[in-house]
Amino acid sequence: MMSVEESLLDETSDERQDPSGVVVAQNVSKSFGFTKALDNVTIIGKAGAVHAITGENGAGKSTFMKILCGVEKPDTGKLFIHGQEVRFTSANDALNYGVSAVFQEFTLLPNLTIAENMYLGREPMRSGLLSRQGMIRHAQETIERIGVNVKMDWLAGRLSVSEQQLVQIARGITADAGIFFFDEPTAALNKTEVDRLETIINELRTAGKTIFYISHRLEEIFRFCDSITILKDGKHVATVSRASIDEDKLVMLMVGRPMQDLFPPYGQAAESIALDVHSLIPIQDSPEVQLQLHRGERLGLYGLEGQGQREIIRSIIGVIRPKRSHIMKISRDGNPVRLTPEDGVVSCLRMDIGYIPEDRKIEGLYLDLSVHENVALGCLKNLRLTRLAPNASKLVEDIMERMQLQAQSLRQTVGSLSGGNQQKVMLGRWFAAGVDTLLIEQPTRGVDIGAKAEIYKQLQEFAASGGAVLIVSNELTEVIGLCDRIIVVRQGRFVSEVTGRKATEEGIMEYALKDTVSGNKV
Amino acid sequence: MRRLIRMSDSRSGLSIPILAIPVALIIILTTMAHGFASLENLSNLISQIAALMIVAIGQMTVALVMGLDLSVGSVISLVTCMVATGGSPALTVPFCFAIGMMVGLLNGWGVTTLRIHPIIMTLSSMTFLQGVTLMWQPIPGGHVPDIFSVIGVGHTLGVPHSLIWSILCAVAFSILLNYSRFGLHLYAVGGNTVSARLNGVAVNRVTVSAYVLCSLLAVIAGLYLAARIASGDPKIGASFGLDSITAIALGGTQLSGGVGGVVSAIIGALSLGLISNGMNLLGVSPFLQSSAKGFILIVAICAQRRKTVGL
Repeated sequence: MMSVEESLLDETSDERQDPSGVVVAQNVSKSFGFTKALDNVTIIGKAGAVHAITGENGAGKSTFMKILCGVEKPDTGKLFIHGQEVRFTSANDALNYGVSAVFQEFTLLPNLTIAENMYLGREPMRSGLLSRQGMIRHAQETIERIGVNVKMDWLAGRLSVSEQQLVQIARGITADAGIFFFDEPTAALNKTEVDRLETIINELRTAGKTIFYISHRLEEIFRFCDSITILKDGKHVATVSRASIDEDKLVMLMVGRPMQDLFPPYGQAAESIALDVHSLIPIQDSPEVQLQLHRGERLGLYGLEGQGQREIIRSIIGVIRPKRSHIMKISRDGNPVRLTPEDGVVSCLRMDIGYIPEDRKIEGLYLDLSVHENVALGCLKNLRLTRLAPNASKLVEDIMERMQLQAQSLRQTVGSLSGGNQQKVMLGRWFAAGVDTLLIEQPTRGVDIGAKAEIYKQLQEFAASGGAVLIVSNELTEVIGLCDRIIVVRQGRFVSEVTGRKATEEGIMEYALKDTVSGNKV
Repeated sequence: MRRLIRMSDSRSGLSIPILAIPVALIIILTTMAHGFASLENLSNLISQIAALMIVAIGQMTVALVMGLDLSVGSVISLVTCMVATGGSPALTVPFCFAIGMMVGLLNGWGVTTLRIHPIIMTLSSMTFLQGVTLMWQPIPGGHVPDIFSVIGVGHTLGVPHSLIWSILCAVAFSILLNYSRFGLHLYAVGGNTVSARLNGVAVNRVTVSAYVLCSLLAVIAGLYLAARIASGDPKIGASFGLDSITAIALGGTQLSGGVGGVVSAIIGALSLGLISNGMNLLGVSPFLQSSAKGFILIVAICAQRRKTVGL
């Protein structure tokens, strides 16, 4: 590995004098508070090439992009475009230098039309007034090129997530720019749409543009990109050409560990049941489902987006009040108690069940409160409002240490933590509450690989100590690697069941896609 | 017609129920209230509504950027007192506009740079200005130069000047909102501040400008009112802050930003004006009228559908 890096460093120092570097970011550093988001990073972009920038979440990819797009200002370091030093004061300023960006956040304005969104900030004018015709005409051309079936005068608020993403890409490429940034542009796209994006990127490359492609999707990196820059903890790890590296090596550079070490070993389900769903009809007109969650087991529900798996887990815990349910929660000492999700989520959470929602920022955490408070809330869960809060410092400290939380202190606000650490706080809260059953949606959404491994390990230990975990995840590799047992959900029905050991991606996808209903008894 | 139906998912704030309110009110008042349909009352109605309409357009502009301006009333009061006691209009009128500009800049600066909540920021400038006005002129009085009444409340070819002034303001703001870069940016900021900034909109500058425009319109309304009552009154504007907010809410402008328009502000002001005028004609006690307005504000806010454009 060392040798790779050294040769790379040589390469970069060569490039520094190379006039073909259209964009040069030289020794750029940026801190937010005490966190160094970027530490002395040098990246060079050439004409007619696609440069991947990759790394775990929090590695500094997005910060790097924001600096080059004028949204953030670097603390130190210099930016050169065509050899000329530049200092951007705003996103518009960067655009004037020919830097166009497709940001990761959905940045379309819901109350503006598609055409207006695409030209916001650089509106075509005619005799001092907005030229709506011009806007619509130009926008139409690009939208057709991308192939989205939308009208230019629709408000962006009515678009689906993938349409929004495509319009955002369209906005990026309408700019009369020489340098393009794409930040995770495929997060919401399906396969055909990704193919179309590939065509567009190839066209831009052929036209001699400089393209930066920020992603942690290895497949796309190898498909789209000519060179790959790996960042880790804000530092530049390596820049390599695509040909000189394979997926395993890339993951090694990104995480510092091989991929197969990511998942913990499969566990052994006990005879005893933790959650017995005799029957459940989540929403009007959905089919009835049944399942039994054993102690010591990690059970995964997998389905394509919108196949009802989310509704099932949410109606077990009462976030969605189910149409009808008969669910028993069996406590550690074997006492069955009826769970009544019809009465809402609060009554269910009293039953030693923890629930981690998919959107932890909105539904799970108190972002303005400290780590300590967020975790300690778990201990307070079943106390009456009039009781004084017990001192939980020691407990919280132990739990967060066990989970290897990366924070300056437990007094740090949760909002300032990275996604992975936020998820650890979510988990920690339920561990502090001492629950024996966990219901988790998307356990590692927006979590970097290092923290993923830690979260998987925690779940495995939790199950091994007699806990039961029910997981809904959209990531197939995760479902297979993490879950002892997998149920495939399609149109609200359980169509197949397989153990994690025997599961293959192809096998699961076949059931997730195909129209062969084989009953719903599991 | 199709345009009319599609209106409800546009950002204009207009919808069929909102257009139906003034129509229904006119029908009801024509049948119930004697003298409503008389030319005299209608002309009176227009001059009553004109000031509110102008202020409502300003209030709507601020609402577009998720703001609120309670200080418009105090600006109006201050302006009437200024022109009633300040001497030559060549001096007082520019002075009033300068004050309006200052107030708007201050409000906008507080809301953007200091990140003070719009209610708190404009509440404090409202009370501050009210105090200044009362120190300057504790009781109604003074003399407004004659030129004001000629320009402000006269008639040309039978058309009341109040109508002309409000139409001028409305047209100017329609063009500003719909055909200028600034107008588009106002909507963008109201749609999502963070996204607007990422897309190259100068969010703070746009927000401050909205407050400045609102205060300037309040100055115009104040000049018009001074002409109409021909004296300075330190309390005349007191009700305008809440009235203008009620009016834009009635017109479908979303107080949480991004949805609204000049027509919607005018329709709202018209609705509220008709309600006041109607209650006057029907002999409803002024105290009850005030309660009724409070009630209408709540109903109007509750009736707003948050999801009109996916905001």
